[in-house]
Amino acid sequence: MREMDSTEIIDKAISEGRSKLLEDEAYDLLSLYGVAVPDHCIARNIEELGSCANKVRYPHVLKVMSPDIVHKSDVGGVIVGVKNIDEDIDAYKRIVESVNKKAPGSRVTGVLVQHMVPQGLEVIVGGIRDRFFDTVVMFGLGGILVEVLRDVSFRVSPLTYNDAIEMLDDIQARKVLYGVRGMPPRDRNALAKIIYGVYQLMDKHRNIKEIDLNPVMSYERGACVADARVIIG
Amino acid sequence: MYKKPYINQLIHCGCGIMNQRPDLEPFFNPSSIAIVGASPKEGSLGRAILDNLLLRYKGIIYPINPKYKNELGLTWYSSISELPESPELVIIAVRADFVPRILEEAGETGCKAAIIISGGFAESGERGQQLQEEAYRIAQKYGIRVVGPNCIGVYNALTGVDTFFLPQERMRRPPRGPIAIISQSGAFLASIMDWAALEGIGIAKAVNFGNKMDVDEVDMLEYFGWDDDIRVILMYIEGLKPGRGRDFIEIAKRVTARKPVILLKGGKTSRGASAAASHTAALAGDYNVLKGALKQARILEADEVLDLFDMGKALANLRYSRGRRVAIVTNAGGPGVIMVDNLIKYKLEVPELSKELQERLKSMFPPRVAVRNPVDLTGDANNEAYEKALTTIVESGEADIIVVIALMQPPVLTVELGDLIADIAWKHHGIPFIVVTMGSEIAKKLEERVEGRGIPVYNFPERAARAVYAVAHCSKCG
Repeated sequence: MREMDSTEIIDKAISEGRSKLLEDEAYDLLSLYGVAVPDHCIARNIEELGSCANKVRYPHVLKVMSPDIVHKSDVGGVIVGVKNIDEDIDAYKRIVESVNKKAPGSRVTGVLVQHMVPQGLEVIVGGIRDRFFDTVVMFGLGGILVEVLRDVSFRVSPLTYNDAIEMLDDIQARKVLYGVRGMPPRDRNALAKIIYGVYQLMDKHRNIKEIDLNPVMSYERGACVADARVIIG
Repeated sequence: MYKKPYINQLIHCGCGIMNQRPDLEPFFNPSSIAIVGASPKEGSLGRAILDNLLLRYKGIIYPINPKYKNELGLTWYSSISELPESPELVIIAVRADFVPRILEEAGETGCKAAIIISGGFAESGERGQQLQEEAYRIAQKYGIRVVGPNCIGVYNALTGVDTFFLPQERMRRPPRGPIAIISQSGAFLASIMDWAALEGIGIAKAVNFGNKMDVDEVDMLEYFGWDDDIRVILMYIEGLKPGRGRDFIEIAKRVTARKPVILLKGGKTSRGASAAASHTAALAGDYNVLKGALKQARILEADEVLDLFDMGKALANLRYSRGRRVAIVTNAGGPGVIMVDNLIKYKLEVPELSKELQERLKSMFPPRVAVRNPVDLTGDANNEAYEKALTTIVESGEADIIVVIALMQPPVLTVELGDLIADIAWKHHGIPFIVVTMGSEIAKKLEERVEGRGIPVYNFPERAARAVYAVAHCSKCG
């Protein structure tokens, strides 16, 4: 199958009446703009897990794919730390079983098999559409405490790569990016590249309303999105 | 795999904008002005505008009011169409519902600039909104640029154009100077101009555009950016026009490459974003986004009204420093300590001077003098002590900015210290000097002496720290 371009990915979701991209669509879209995303593969049934195992490095995360489910982990739709094909098969079955029990009637189109990216410093990269500034991007410390700590910085269009670099230094906790207490310094260019990619993606596609990449794992070399949410409409 | 979508456009964005100066010259330097709604009646708005123009404006004034023929030694006209020429600027100060017709008439004569002082437009409900839209359509049809409605208009100290309808005795006009003010609020502008007059802060131009039906802060920023009479632009805004953000950023970036822009935002508390679908939307809020945008455009943000002027005064007189190492020379311990606290708050550096420099200073002064930084000359320091300390520190190259604290209450210092400081500061003008003196008459005398030489003086360490922050202008100062 030919890979879809960015417009096709978004148009397909809109034509199906969805306001949010499926996670694999979000990953494909982001990678078209140079954003590092985890290796991933869709298994529509248990048989397809085999080919996914060849494509995606272990450990795996398996996530249920359903247009009806918003919070996947609430319905037992996410299983992490899957180490081999036997565990893949087991995890698949457990996901389907749990979803059938906790969200009966939900359509399950398969599972997303995703490489479980190693733990890094968790940051958030986001984008919104603003009535004054149009495309606005955000960077900050990520993870589940993001809305408590609120340590984030914003920049607006037209954004340059250098603006993205400056955003990194515009948070209170900027020092953690340079390495503190034995923790390594983080790859700032890799983060700036993700911010810039989100900006370009939103600037090009007017029908993307919001993007949340949370967390993005930041490493000494490189960075990788671990969860993506793209709101369209 | 990595596609670069229209990256060229991103790099070349903004071409076509600001290649030429926006055509707002008729507002600030018109050869003739018609005042629709002028009046000879004492205490009326139409009279105040007329009086203020008569006082300093050297061009031709056409008062328009069908009730009068000859008043105040002027020829009065009953309408714009009766004038012997098309006025370059028309000031409209009549009831809102007459305004569209007057604009139409102005447009017919070829007039290209109008200031609508009148209220009763979009700020006052649906009928007003309709009137504003009608006025806008007419202005567009004739290519008339409009300041207002619902505003006090423009002030130009150089040409005497002054549409502020506040009488001179109520709102004193500040001296001429290198500062321009752009204010969304008319009342705020009038009061700070009055205060600036009291403080002797020089203003070149000022504008308030009220409902900003046409001309807005982005246009004004661009226009003042080109104006070589202006060294610093101060802005008070509550919000941009929707969709104007991109222009604002592009233009502000170019302007701040030429001169400092300092902005105070009104209405910082963000609207609730509880229904947000993403973390990003939940965290955004108008003010947080604007804060980022200001940093991006290298606009300095003022936290409060005094900040605007404290920073403005510094940047009107001084260049940006090369770095953010501050050396403090004082004759009082307490103010020196408060100064350090405030500088650190703004992420400035007050480094201990090098051993070598400390030794040199020690050899010049009695042992009670502290030489680490702040250099505390103590209460019996005389003019000469300041001269020696300042010269030595400046020539050492260990400071990017010098703060001189001189309390005049001890009897040894004289106001000639002011000239001495200024002489050293001017000799080393790559290193900005900021002076703090606290107290009453004697402090005021030193202040006048120093400010007369173009070195900014502050009455409190906290306010001086804000000025140092402005002068050190660096993105990481927080």
